[in-house]
Amino acid sequence: MSSVVVTKPSAAMLIIDQLAHGNAWRHHALIEKICLGLGGLGVVIGQPGWVTGTLVSCALMAAAVWGARIPFGFLLRVLCIPAGFVVLGALTFLFSVDANGIHFVASGVAAAFTLIGRSFAATVCVCFLALTTPATDLLCGMRRVGLPRDVAEIALLTYRFLFQIAETAATMHAAQAARLGHVTPMRRLRCLGMLVANLLPRAFERARHMEIGLAARNWNGELRVQASAVPVSWWRVAAIVWGWICVLWAGRVMQ
Amino acid sequence: MGLDLCTVGGKGDAVSMIVAEALHYAYPGGGDALAGLSLTVKRGRRLAILGPNGAGKTTLLLHLNGSLRPAQGRVLLDGVEAAYSRTALAAWRRRVGLVLQDADDQLFASSVAEDVSFGPLNLELPPDQVRDRVDAALHAMGISALAEKAPHMLSFGQKKRVAIAGALAMQPEVLLLDEPTAGLDYLGTRQLLEALGALAETTLVFTTHDAGLALAFADEVALFAQGRVIAQGDAQTVLSDANAMKQASLEVPFVARLAARLQGLGLPAQHLRTEEDVLAVLAAHPLAVDQISVSGAV
Repeated sequence: MSSVVVTKPSAAMLIIDQLAHGNAWRHHALIEKICLGLGGLGVVIGQPGWVTGTLVSCALMAAAVWGARIPFGFLLRVLCIPAGFVVLGALTFLFSVDANGIHFVASGVAAAFTLIGRSFAATVCVCFLALTTPATDLLCGMRRVGLPRDVAEIALLTYRFLFQIAETAATMHAAQAARLGHVTPMRRLRCLGMLVANLLPRAFERARHMEIGLAARNWNGELRVQASAVPVSWWRVAAIVWGWICVLWAGRVMQ
Repeated sequence: MGLDLCTVGGKGDAVSMIVAEALHYAYPGGGDALAGLSLTVKRGRRLAILGPNGAGKTTLLLHLNGSLRPAQGRVLLDGVEAAYSRTALAAWRRRVGLVLQDADDQLFASSVAEDVSFGPLNLELPPDQVRDRVDAALHAMGISALAEKAPHMLSFGQKKRVAIAGALAMQPEVLLLDEPTAGLDYLGTRQLLEALGALAETTLVFTTHDAGLALAFADEVALFAQGRVIAQGDAQTVLSDANAMKQASLEVPFVARLAARLQGLGLPAQHLRTEEDVLAVLAAHPLAVDQISVSGAV
């Protein structure tokens, strides 16, 4: 089984994209990963309670780490920020504040656990999908189920441009820093403004060049490409569905 | 640069394929990018366009595939004046492919294979044929292993080859390449030129600042200065013309200067294009080394 090599870990967005393109399940059919990710989300929504949420979280984290070979440490890093918000939200169930001070609310413990369990599980489901499936594959799948062609093409180009613009912004940022542009907060703010102001015309220029490049290949207004067909393993799909049914049942029994 | 890629010579008289006649073009707010430029591209040949920055090299390439329309003058394709209707442009670009300098300006799809399939699909080819063309283009550029990679995860040199594969998959008769080796390291340049050198059936037109590269790889050279062609002809002849090269703000390549010196010594140095060629002559005539050093710097 191949392990994932992460290169140029300059930003979480880039690493997520690299993992999505380079994980061990990259070439599994989209429907299988949808069944796992969105199926898990469906289970969490369908069966309230922290037990189900915990089971779904564990199952998907195990699938991501052992199956797709996503580095465990990175998965935790990706999850920790949304998890922080979830925990902060749960605190409102556990404590109340009045004129006499802060009080622990014992009756809120169950609700707090449920909130944490379900929200965290939902986050794991979405992260699993983001880390194992490139955004373009998801767009392709959405187009198959009815997303308008124009919307899909704009999203595809936006996705492609994001990386180019991020690279340009990083280069400009480094150039500003090299000339001491960021030594004081005021200068940093001014540099940031200049950077944003410069990015816009550059993005337009790049778009214009892209149009010439596409026209040279007889672009007729539609971005048609030949996607490689990935065979679906219906056995795997059936196993995933069966697994989620088991989780639902276990969650109901253990709650 | 020690490129050993010259496989040309002895092709005989080639037929003019693209002719640009007295082209004038000015960008909005700028001076004349092309000022009465005339140029001929011969079928099956490799034409290098050399000139300083801002001389109009890229602008010319954009005219040669109909991306820009001249303010005055005309472009002829096999003797027929180019038209600029949607249908005419589609037919033109089917025959004349273009690769921009920055590969990122061309790559948009989520994988290399998908991006390369874009052109053939626009030719309305059946899926099997598209697949065959994609495979063949990737193979020709030596990037079959990258087929499933995302373009934004590739190196600069790999992106360049993907962009060329995208144009090649349309099987154009003429391939226009804007600075194909710019930004590439020695190995990247060599690999790219080897791949391009294998395209025996395709007429190549490329812009470059590298006179040594033009000497090693091109059959013909056109020198640009201030929006005009100041000299066009056999690569060795043009690149050895010190006056024309100076006008184009370029220097006669080292190999050409050495070849001229060897010819002056009566050695067979008429067809030297690469450092390897020169070394071969010097190995065969070891005394020439002393004579060159005695007669002064090259």
